[in-house]
Amino acid sequence: MSLRVAVGAVFRREMQLFARRKSDWANPLMFFLIVCSLFPFAVGSESERLKLIGIGVIFVGALLAAMLSLPRLFDEDARDGSLELLLTSPEPLAVLILARVAALSLALGVALAVVSPVFALFYALPGDVAAMLALTVAMAVPTLLLVGAIAAALLVSARGGAILTAVLVLPLTIPTLIFGAGAALRVLYGESPAAELALQAAFMLLALALCPLAAAAALKISTD
Amino acid sequence: MARTEQQSNEKYGGRWFWRYASPAAFFPLAGRIEALCWVLAIVLSAIGLYLGFFVAPTDAQQGEVYRVIFIHVPAAWMAMVIYLAMAFWSLLGLVLGTRLSFMMSHALAPTGAIMAVISLWTGALWGRPTWGTYWVWDARLTSTLILFFLYVGYMALAASFDDKKKGDRASALIALVGAINVPIIYFSVKWWNTLHQGSSVRPGSSSMATTMLTAMLIMTFAFWAYSIAAAMHRLRTGVIEREGKAAWLRDAMKGWLR
Repeated sequence: MSLRVAVGAVFRREMQLFARRKSDWANPLMFFLIVCSLFPFAVGSESERLKLIGIGVIFVGALLAAMLSLPRLFDEDARDGSLELLLTSPEPLAVLILARVAALSLALGVALAVVSPVFALFYALPGDVAAMLALTVAMAVPTLLLVGAIAAALLVSARGGAILTAVLVLPLTIPTLIFGAGAALRVLYGESPAAELALQAAFMLLALALCPLAAAAALKISTD
Repeated sequence: MARTEQQSNEKYGGRWFWRYASPAAFFPLAGRIEALCWVLAIVLSAIGLYLGFFVAPTDAQQGEVYRVIFIHVPAAWMAMVIYLAMAFWSLLGLVLGTRLSFMMSHALAPTGAIMAVISLWTGALWGRPTWGTYWVWDARLTSTLILFFLYVGYMALAASFDDKKKGDRASALIALVGAINVPIIYFSVKWWNTLHQGSSVRPGSSSMATTMLTAMLIMTFAFWAYSIAAAMHRLRTGVIEREGKAAWLRDAMKGWLR
């Protein structure tokens, strides 16, 4: 019972912070928009060419935008001391971290998934591909945040956090990138994306099972 | 001498090898292992390179250029084996809390990264004349590249903590996360590769002559010996760095200092 209360409190607090500090989700979205609009300048504006790179650009852009919000998970709380409260709570730390990642995934994942199909218009992608992109981005963002929570927890007290987060997290997100972008590519070629979607869901579930435990261990190490 | 050994046997539950979890006990042994492995590495690579470059026959399809495998294949194997060894020592360190295990893991990482780079570099030089390109997004090449990223991430993380103990445990955790991910990444890349393009030319698909195989095996043992020697050297340097002015260390270093 009290676990439910604790999880609810952590989740609500995160959502309230998101509602009150709009820059927390507006900045990643702006970053995403700018990244997506840079590529046509570099490769040219013919719609055939844009169609080929569009899925990849949007997917990588969404992952980068989500990654930039990782420090938000623990850094600020470590500075103002509220992380200590999380650590001294009698409830299992892994579950509390999961509540936090869930709140961030819900806020940021939904926002990025909603704008992805809009950005697909930049790249002349058809509607069904855009819808598939929204779905796979919505699955990829929680996967990245779950894996990234480990790195964010480790780097709470380390030097040079932001760039190191990228070095640690991005290689681990390659599977979700392959199958998320792959599913949209299948739709573009008029094939069934079922296999890619199933694999991407499998990665998300695996991350869901293992990452909160690893992140809890990481947080205990770095705040020791 | 016999008395201290007996004492430590009692202290560590009678298993003699646990004595070597202590840097003080392992430091001299590491020195002996290092010396032995340097000798092995030099002798074996002299024999292996001689066999590989002068005795092994020219390949019917690839000509002389195939001879890069005597460096390329052992390096690629070592890159993988060393990552596993690193994850093993990291796990041991996290479970048992032995600081020497973490140091072992740190000592292995640079050698593993170097092996990954050597295998990528020689692979590119081999790929140009045989495949007509320096790089293809083949499953093996791509996962070796990602392995290199994991090594770099591990080393960067370990270096970013002022508190060495924290850095030990943090980097050990990321080594384990990486070890779980390596097979996942490998199979993802493999499936991705078969989705987009037909499987590329596989090295070693043709049967090998016995001398080629012998040379490659000897070179593999040479790489093992080199890796152990380099890791032991780095481990001893790490111990000296960390244990600072401990009395045992000054005794052990008497021959070298001053």
